[in-house]
Amino acid sequence: MSRIIVYCGFLQEERTKLPEMGVGGSKVNVLAQDRLCLLWSEVPWPFEPAGLQYKAVEFHQVVQHVFQQAAVVPFRLLSIFDGVPALEKFAAENAATFTADLERLRDYVQMESVVYVIQQRAAEEEKSGRAYLEGKAEVLRLSIDHAARVKAAIQPISQEIQVREVKSGTRIFALVRRGNEERFREGVKAVPLPQSISRRVSGPWPAAEFLSPEVRMPQSAGQQ
Amino acid sequence: MPSDFEPITLTGSAEEDVSLLEIIDHVLNAGVVIHGSLVISVAGVDLVYVGLNVVLTSVETALRSLKAEQAREPAKRSSK
Repeated sequence: MSRIIVYCGFLQEERTKLPEMGVGGSKVNVLAQDRLCLLWSEVPWPFEPAGLQYKAVEFHQVVQHVFQQAAVVPFRLLSIFDGVPALEKFAAENAATFTADLERLRDYVQMESVVYVIQQRAAEEEKSGRAYLEGKAEVLRLSIDHAARVKAAIQPISQEIQVREVKSGTRIFALVRRGNEERFREGVKAVPLPQSISRRVSGPWPAAEFLSPEVRMPQSAGQQ
Repeated sequence: MPSDFEPITLTGSAEEDVSLLEIIDHVLNAGVVIHGSLVISVAGVDLVYVGLNVVLTSVETALRSLKAEQAREPAKRSSK
């Protein structure tokens, strides 16, 4: 049994070079609908769960290949269609919203900074219950304060910022003009890092956090 | 529910591990969600859905382990 997986959407440009190979060595195809191009492959389905990590990296490489040249709307790895007719129907129904997002995000990339609390288990175990809770609250306050400082530092170079609290800390997503990635990293680095707090910076990524709701969760029949 | 999914193993440098986990996180969690891919009723495909859940859990667990390891490393170095 085979299915169609979709890697990403991008706007048609003659100069865009496409990857030669997709997930599992599959052929990479383009479905064009007006100015929107969807990159897809036909792959054996279902994936063997044991090989999913490797396929995730292959999938990422295909998306990156296009993203290095142009803005893309990434699809999630397990977004599958029954066949090409279903994909064609999806493209026809969603081309306008995808194209609008791609035009809006044309010159931008997504940068991320994750702020999180360093676990200090050994020291915590020696404390009393109250001291433990007070210490935890203090570190959490430091983390929230640090995330706010990072956000303020990157504000001048960000078109838009999204903040999401996750179990381990705070994820800050910034929509940054392509070419300003280093300024973003420098902006984050310039914020002094308190003890007990750590942070990571990553990117550039496709601007997935800044997609419109209609593109992120498109309404369409035609999929499985 | 039992699954034969191979857990993520942390090898190589911490930076490489985080990069791999971030890639997997983005590939699975960021971007267009096709409704159909989340509503899976065919038994064969259900396995993949179960696998996906396990992947997400493993990423979280692996990140926690990695962060704990990174937190311990400076302490080890400073005590030498």
